Formats: sequence, structure tokens, C-alpha cells
Amino acid sequence: MESIWFKCELACEIIQNPSIFDKTQNVILDIVSGRLDITKLVENMADVLTHKEVENREKGMRFFTKILTELPKHYLTDLQIKFISKFYIDRLKDNHRVIPAVLEGYLAIIDMQNYSIQNSGEFLTTLFREVPCQSQVRQDRYHIYLIILKLLERDVEYMKSLGPDFVYGVLSSIEGERDPRNLLFLFNILPNFLKEVPLGHLTEEMFDVISCYYPIDFHPSPNDPAAVTRDDLAAALTPCLCAVPEFAEHCLVLLVEKLDSSLKQAKIDSLKLLSESCKTFKAESYGPFLKTLWASIHREITHKTDNELKMVAHEALSALVRKLATTSNKDQEFENFVKGVLISMQTALAGSTTVSQFIDAKKILLTTANASKESCIIITNSMIPAIVAYYGFKTSNKLQIASLEFLGDLYDLAKHWNVLNELEAQVNEIPQLCLVAVSQPSKEYQIAGFRTLIRVRDILKVDLVLPFVEVLIYIIQHSQDIDLLKISVETIHAIARYHPEMIMDLVVKGKCDLENLIADKTNLEKRLNLLSNLASIDDFTKIIIEEMLKIISINDHTAPKIVEALNDSISDSNLFTNEKITQIESDHGLVDSVLNWLLSEIQRGSEDSFNHGFMLIANTISSLSPEKEELILSRHTSSLLDLCKSNETFFLILQSLYISIHQNVNDVRFEEIMKLSLTLSLNSKNDTIRLKASILIAHFLNKADYGQKFELLYDLLKDYLSSCSGDDMSLCPRLIQLYGWITKALVMRSSDQFLFWLQKILVAITNQEFTQHGADAVRLIMTEFPEYLNTRQHCRISPFYKQRMFQSFSKLTANIGPLSPDVKETYLLSWAYIIEKTPKSVLNNEVHQVSLLVIDALGYDNKDLLVVMLDVLCHYIQSKHTTIVQSLQTILPRLVKLSTYVKSMDVRIKSLQCLYEIAKAYQTVFLLPYKQDVLLDLAPSLDDKKRLVRNMAVQARTRWYLVGAPGESKEN
Amino acid sequence: MTKVADNVNPHIYEKESEREITLEEHDENVVDEFDEREIFDLIRNINDPEHPLTLEELRVVEEKNISVDNKENVVHVNFTPTIPHCSMATLIGLSIRVQLLRALPSRFKVTVEVSEGTHVSEHAVNKQLADKERVAAALENNNLVQIINQCVAM
Repeated sequence: MESIWFKCELACEIIQNPSIFDKTQNVILDIVSGRLDITKLVENMADVLTHKEVENREKGMRFFTKILTELPKHYLTDLQIKFISKFYIDRLKDNHRVIPAVLEGYLAIIDMQNYSIQNSGEFLTTLFREVPCQSQVRQDRYHIYLIILKLLERDVEYMKSLGPDFVYGVLSSIEGERDPRNLLFLFNILPNFLKEVPLGHLTEEMFDVISCYYPIDFHPSPNDPAAVTRDDLAAALTPCLCAVPEFAEHCLVLLVEKLDSSLKQAKIDSLKLLSESCKTFKAESYGPFLKTLWASIHREITHKTDNELKMVAHEALSALVRKLATTSNKDQEFENFVKGVLISMQTALAGSTTVSQFIDAKKILLTTANASKESCIIITNSMIPAIVAYYGFKTSNKLQIASLEFLGDLYDLAKHWNVLNELEAQVNEIPQLCLVAVSQPSKEYQIAGFRTLIRVRDILKVDLVLPFVEVLIYIIQHSQDIDLLKISVETIHAIARYHPEMIMDLVVKGKCDLENLIADKTNLEKRLNLLSNLASIDDFTKIIIEEMLKIISINDHTAPKIVEALNDSISDSNLFTNEKITQIESDHGLVDSVLNWLLSEIQRGSEDSFNHGFMLIANTISSLSPEKEELILSRHTSSLLDLCKSNETFFLILQSLYISIHQNVNDVRFEEIMKLSLTLSLNSKNDTIRLKASILIAHFLNKADYGQKFELLYDLLKDYLSSCSGDDMSLCPRLIQLYGWITKALVMRSSDQFLFWLQKILVAITNQEFTQHGADAVRLIMTEFPEYLNTRQHCRISPFYKQRMFQSFSKLTANIGPLSPDVKETYLLSWAYIIEKTPKSVLNNEVHQVSLLVIDALGYDNKDLLVVMLDVLCHYIQSKHTTIVQSLQTILPRLVKLSTYVKSMDVRIKSLQCLYEIAKAYQTVFLLPYKQDVLLDLAPSLDDKKRLVRNMAVQARTRWYLVGAPGESKEN
Repeated sequence: MTKVADNVNPHIYEKESEREITLEEHDENVVDEFDEREIFDLIRNINDPEHPLTLEELRVVEEKNISVDNKENVVHVNFTPTIPHCSMATLIGLSIRVQLLRALPSRFKVTVEVSEGTHVSEHAVNKQLADKERVAAALENNNLVQIINQCVAM
């Protein structure tokens, strides 16, 4: 049977049977396949489209619109669209009930491929005349805006040709819009519209329509799931207000008015608008407003407490100065403005009595100078001499020091804008002033002076080098202050990069003469420190290193000190790059010299002195290439292995050679060394050797590539350990320590095999006799050592290994039975070691499990355990987890008890801090029942014998006083 | 705002740096006695009722105007209003008293007074602050407690 849409009964069907709307897909299929002509369809619908009942006309239009939306976009021809468009335009004059369907249908028509823009003129004219936009419902208004947007996107030129009528139509459509979603949409499309379509005589009207929303005052309904926020609207409105230069005058008048508002939000919006407007408005537009603008910016930028306001004011100032600077060569306005800023800030600087006032004024000047090259010249030109003079006024110490820093900032800006040439006379004053500062006896002045000097080192003149060096060498020889010594060495380093010959003459061959280096014993260490630092500069490397190695090789009694100083400097990768170390090694044979020294020293020297030697070797080796490493190893290994047979102490040298080699170094002797290490790690009588042997095993296991190399080592390890008899109880603690290192090495390279060893450690923890050793092994796994198993030594470190430990340990302990009290304590302690190092984000996911452990642990008398657990508790309270608040009844008495814990002040402080955080974090309802008790219980801590505890007790108690009291600033 | 502050543009002074923590303070076995600086630290951050500034920044309280006797359990604090006719003097004194009441062990007898010759009605203020019953009565007043709590909340 033929479907109904082939017959003229379709009209009746649409009126009577709503289910016809579900069959539109079939109609489309028939149209597309050519069985049904669209004109025929329209003819069949004729009765309903022109029905005298509005209700039925609406149904007809809806049906037609549905067909049009679902029809393929390319299907209709030019002519067909023209007729349909005409029809739809005609329908705009119909009853208001029909309009929604018409608008939706026209949207579909515009989207069609063959739609001609010519049709739109008439549509818009009729639309603006017949349909009052703001009387429509929200959705229809949105459709009208969407139609305008789509037409604009389709052909801007044609839209422009429609002239002021079109602009007026748009203007009257949007005037009075109050729905936030529609507004957001409008604000997003308006800037483009304003930029493309000339407004002509309607400029002011248009601005008025937009500006009536400014500043946005809007609070979304609390029930709205996807609310539009005030900030979204404000951010979208700002570009509309300054979309075109023609808005400038109106916009600035408005802006100046709102800057004086008493509402903070209005001020912030205005300042943001000012920054934004600088992108489009002409610099000249600002001319008449500059005085008022600066007055307002000045008021906000010096606001005492509100940092947000300060920040936006800084941004606005910076944008404004940058804009004005573009006209600096033809107009006086810019210069006058910057000078205005300069004068008011100079007054502020001169009147400041505190550093914070000084810094506020300084920041404003720096913002202005940073905005453009021209402003930088004006500011630095007058501020550098002014600050130099200010320093001379002998205000307070802190202000003088702050002014030195300010000079450094100004210099950096002048350098940034590349205007140093024009300021030569001014900036040359700075090093001179630094010299004055560092000649003061006070440490603060000296440090500030050197800091600024390092910043301005490029312009240090030759004649000032000598006095500076005198002061510096004096400080290095005589000062005991670590900060000052460090900055002094840094300063000499900085000077040496610019004036190597002078430093060579004055320092290396003068004050710290290498020839007499060891003759003068006093302050030898400090001088060595300086020299080894300077050795990183190419000009000095040869002479200094050679001399140092010479002293090492004759094994003078100062050799240990030289080794120490060299090690300190070389391990600082900022000073010595890998290339530099490689060069030193190949030019001077650093490793060989130190090794020879160690061989003779190890028999008689003290452990301290040669530990630096081991570290120096390890650090040097780690910087070399694999080939170089292999070369050095092949030179020394055999002889060292032989020596080890007679005296196990020589193993330490061997260890230092092998510990930081690259992962891909191949050596046939690995097996032999591994065996030796295993034997020593369990059997040596010397603690250090046992430890270092275990560490070397860990390094090997961590670095070996999976496959043959790893299997070989791992089998070796297993075979050896199974051959050790389990009966020898004295061996157990050593075994557990070794297990710790093995686990650490494996978990760090994220190998699953670590679980096997962790299981063994867990067995130890649950065993009464070895429980403490087990806990120690866990601590060892979780601790990061600066000198072992790190990237510098080419170890593999998986970023998630601590998290992995946490998860594996909780899995392994999940089925653990009830523990005896002694074991329970160390068991919790092992947990504490793990929790301490686990990332907080992981702990946040396991609140329930961890908080049980924490609450349990608070009852034990173990300092290490308590410190860690209180730390976690504190973290949980700060992040306001509800699990804690449910257990307050248990937690509070335990915390109160710990607040008088005699053995450790850290525990007392931490427990008081937890009490403080509880009062701060949780809702008053939960706290109020405990308030009086806690206040009484806290009183004894106010008289604690330690001041730090008392301070925390005061914080906690005064905070608890506020709980539920008038004047407490808490949201709930 | 209907009420304008008594002293609209007070002179602002530098804040002192935080007390440096010495090695002895970390030593479990050393007893740290109460000293002037500690009392000063308790009250330096109290906010002024009129300005967003602390009593220290306005030099209302100074370390040199505080005396402590550990053996006799006596604490004496003198404070200096920014101007002689400051109407807030009593309120400031009360805030200091309340803060010390909450933060000091009860063994101390605390006296809070206006520094001599710095306020027009010095004696009246001192008398009010010394009168326990009047202080207690003042703390029954919710509005007053609210202002004081806002001042001492740091």
C-alpha cells in the first residue's frame, strides 16, 4: 500500500495523528530515493499549512520543519530553497505560536548547501519587523541569535551591505536580554560582529546596550547543575566593551566611573577591562583620562590588604604603559604619565619606614619599567642615581639592604631591554656602592652587596677588582659564617669568569698561592674550597688540579683535606659538568692519582679521610663514558682482587670503582666480584665492609639488563644464600639487612621479584627475636640515600616504587593473624616507615585502612612511631577526612595524653598541632561537646618546659577557645 | 561606615623577624624559661580593632615594655596607644588581657597597663583593666567577645 504522504490525506493525518511525526525518516527515504517529489509533499500538506486553526498550522509547520532538518544538506536545489525560504519568510507574519517552528526551520534552511545569501536580506527585514525578539521564550531567542551568527559566518560582505538597518535589527533584538546562557552566547559572538560590521551612527546605542550589563552582578541559582558563573560572564563581556576603537571614549568614561566604585568586584572588572582595552584602543584615546586613571590605579595598587586587587592593578598599569609607549616619539603624554608614576613612587619610597612599604613602591616602578623599553629608560635613568643617593641617607639597615637589591632589579631590567649603553654613567655607580656595602662589618650588608655584585658582574671595572678581592679573601680566610663563605666563593667565581688574569695573579698566585699552599696551615680548608671551586673555570683548571694532584701524590699530610675539597666541588654538577670531569680525568689522571693515594693511605689512615677518596672516585667514574670506565676497570680490577684476598679492606676501593658505572659496562669479572661481595656482606667482621658489600650487590641487581646478565647474577645470589645454613642464628640480622638491600634494588627497578624478599622480611618482623631487624630493613627500603642507588650512579629508579611498596605491604599484611604486643609495636613501626614516605595522594585513597593503624599506634610508647603517625593524622585532618571526625572520642584523649609525653618534645608538638588542626578543620557541631574538656586538658602544656611546645599549645588552646564562640571565622 | 577611626593615618613600623630557634630550644634536657620575648610573641600579632595592622606594627606593644619574673610568677605588660585620646585603649588592653589569660599558665599574675603619660584617661583605663569583675562582666557581653575574638584570632 502506498504510504500516506503520497496522498493529500497527509494534511488530515498530521492534524489527527501525532504519531506521524515519528515517520519522517521514511518520508525522507522516499524523497531521497526519488519516489516522492518535495513539491508534491508540500502540495499534500497544503491544507494543514494554511488551515484556519492556529493550532493546526503550527502542527503543519512543525512537520515541515522536521522534514527540513532531517533532509540531507545537499539535497535541495537553489530554486527549491528559494521557494521554501520565501514561504518561511511569509510565515514570520503568522501567529506567535507558529514562530518557534519557523525559526527552527529557517536554521535548517541556512545550513543547506545551496542556500543563497540573497534570501537572507528579506528574512532579516521581516524578522526584525514582525518578531519582537525579547517577547519570545529563551530557546527561540537563542535561535534568532544563532541565525544571525550563521548568516554572518556564511557571508560577512553581504551582511555589511545590509547597512544600518541590519545593525539596528540586531541591536533591538539583543536589547534587554537577561538569560545568563543567552548572554554568554551573545558576549561570545558580539566581538566578532562588532569588528566586522561597521556601526555607523549606531555606535553609541550599541555601546549602551552592551554596557548596561557592566559590571556584572550575578549569582547563579544554587540548584543549577551546570550554572553559568559570574566570572564566565564577566570574562566574556570584557572583550565586547572594547571590541572596536570607536568605543574608546564611552568605554573609558564608564571605566573611570566604575574604578571609583566601592565594590571590590567592580574595581577588579574595571582594571581587567583596562588591560584588555589596551589591545584595541588607540593610545591617543587615553590622553584625557590619564590623570584620573593613574589616580585610581595608584589607589588600588597600594591597597594594604587585598592582593588580588593589587595584582590586577599591576597588570593594568603594565598594559597601559606598554600601549602609551607606542606613541612615545610623537607625543608628550607617555613621558608625562611615566614621570607622574615616577614622582609619586619616589615620594612613597622616601616616606617609607618599613621594608614592605619600600617593596610595594619598588614593585610599581619595576612593573612600569618592565612594560616597555622607553619606560625602562626613563625609570632606570632617574631611579639608579636616586637609589644610590638613598643608600647614602643611612636610613635603617633593612631599607639599605632592600635598596641594594632594588639596584640589582633595575640593572636586570635595563639589561633585559638592552638599554645599558644609554645608562652607562648611571649603572657604573652600582659596583662602587656594592663595594661600600661589603666593606661594612655586618654580614647582612656583605651578603646583599655580593648578591647585587654578582647580578651586575658584566660592568665591574678592572680598578674595582682589587678592592673586592681584598675583601673577599679576607672574608674567606676569617669568616665562620657558612652563608657568607658560600656567597664569597660564588662572587670570586663570577669575577674570575670576567677577569681571569687578575684573579690568577691576585688569588691563585697571590693570596692563595699554590706554592705556599701547604706551608700556611691556617684556614687551609677554606682556601682549598675556593681553589677547587675556581678549578671549574677553564683558565684555572690546569694549574690548580695539577698542583693539587702533586700534593696528593707525595702524600703530604694535607692530602685528605685536598681530597675532601675536590670531592665537594666535583660533586656539584652546576660547577663541574660531565665533559669537564672527563677532560680533567684524561688530562691529569685524577682517578689513578687518588687510587694510588688510597692504596697507601688505607693501611694507616682514618676512615673519615679516605671516605672522601672513595666518593671522589665514585663521582668521577659516574661522569665518564662507558668506554672510559671499562678502560679504568681493566687497569685496576685484577690487582685489587688479589689484594682483597689478603686484606678485605681493599674491597672498599674496589667497591668505589664499581658502584657508579654505567648500566651497559661489560666486565668479565662481575661474577667474581659478586661472589666476593656476597661472602663479605655476611661474613666480614667489619660493619662498614658488610654494608658496602650489600650496597654493591644492590647496585648490580638494579643495573643489570634483564636477560642473561640479570639471570646470572640472580642465580648466583640465590645459590649462595641457599648454601648458607639456616641454623646459624648470628647470621640472621646480617641476612635480613641484605634482604632489605635486595628488595630495595628490585622494587626500584620495578621488578616483581621483590615480593619474594619482602615476604622474608615480613616473616622476620613477625618473629619476636628479629622483629626490630625486620623493621630496620623496611626503613632502609623506604629511605632515599644521597650517596647510593640514585640516578647520578646510573641506577634505575621507577617513580612509583614507594607507592608500590605501600600497596604490596598492605596486600601481604592483609591476612596476618593477631600479633603479640612486642611484635605489634615493631609491626606498626614498619608501617610507619612505609607510610612516612608514601605520597600523600596515595594515602588519601586509603584513609580507612591507614587511619585504623594511626589510631592504634597512638596508644604505643614509641617515639619514631608516634612522630610519623601524628604526621599522617595531621595531614588527614588538614584535608578534612570524615573518618577522623567519627573517631574523635578515641583520638582526642590519646592526643591529650601525648601532649605531655615526656620522652620527646616532637611528639608533644605534633599532638598539639593535631589538636589545633582539629579545631580548625571540622564543623563546630562535632567539636563543641569536647570543648571544655580540651581547654582544661591543654592548660598543663602552656607551662611545658620547652618553649616550642608552649608555642604550639598556645596556638591550639586559643583556637579551641574560638570554637563556637562569637567572632569565629568559620564557614559552618 | 559611620564611625571613622580615631587615628586615620597611623605611623607604621617595621615588624620584627620571627624569633630565631636556638639549639637549646631543640634540646630535650634544657628548660626554657619564660622571657619577655615570649610574652611579646604572644601579643604582637593581635589585630588593631580599627586597622588591618597588628599591635606590633603600630608599636602599641613593644618588647621593652614587658617584664617577666619567673620565680615570683609575675607578668607586667605596658602598652602605648597610638594617640593620647584613643577611644580604643580599653578594648586593646582587654584584648591583651584575654589573650594572655588564654595563653599563659595560670600561675602567673598578669598586669596590663597603659604606659605612663601616653593616654589622657590613663588611670581610668588602668583601673578598668585591673578590676577582675569588670573584665569578667565585659566577657559576658557577646558583642564585645566577638570583637575581641576577631582581634586575637591570628
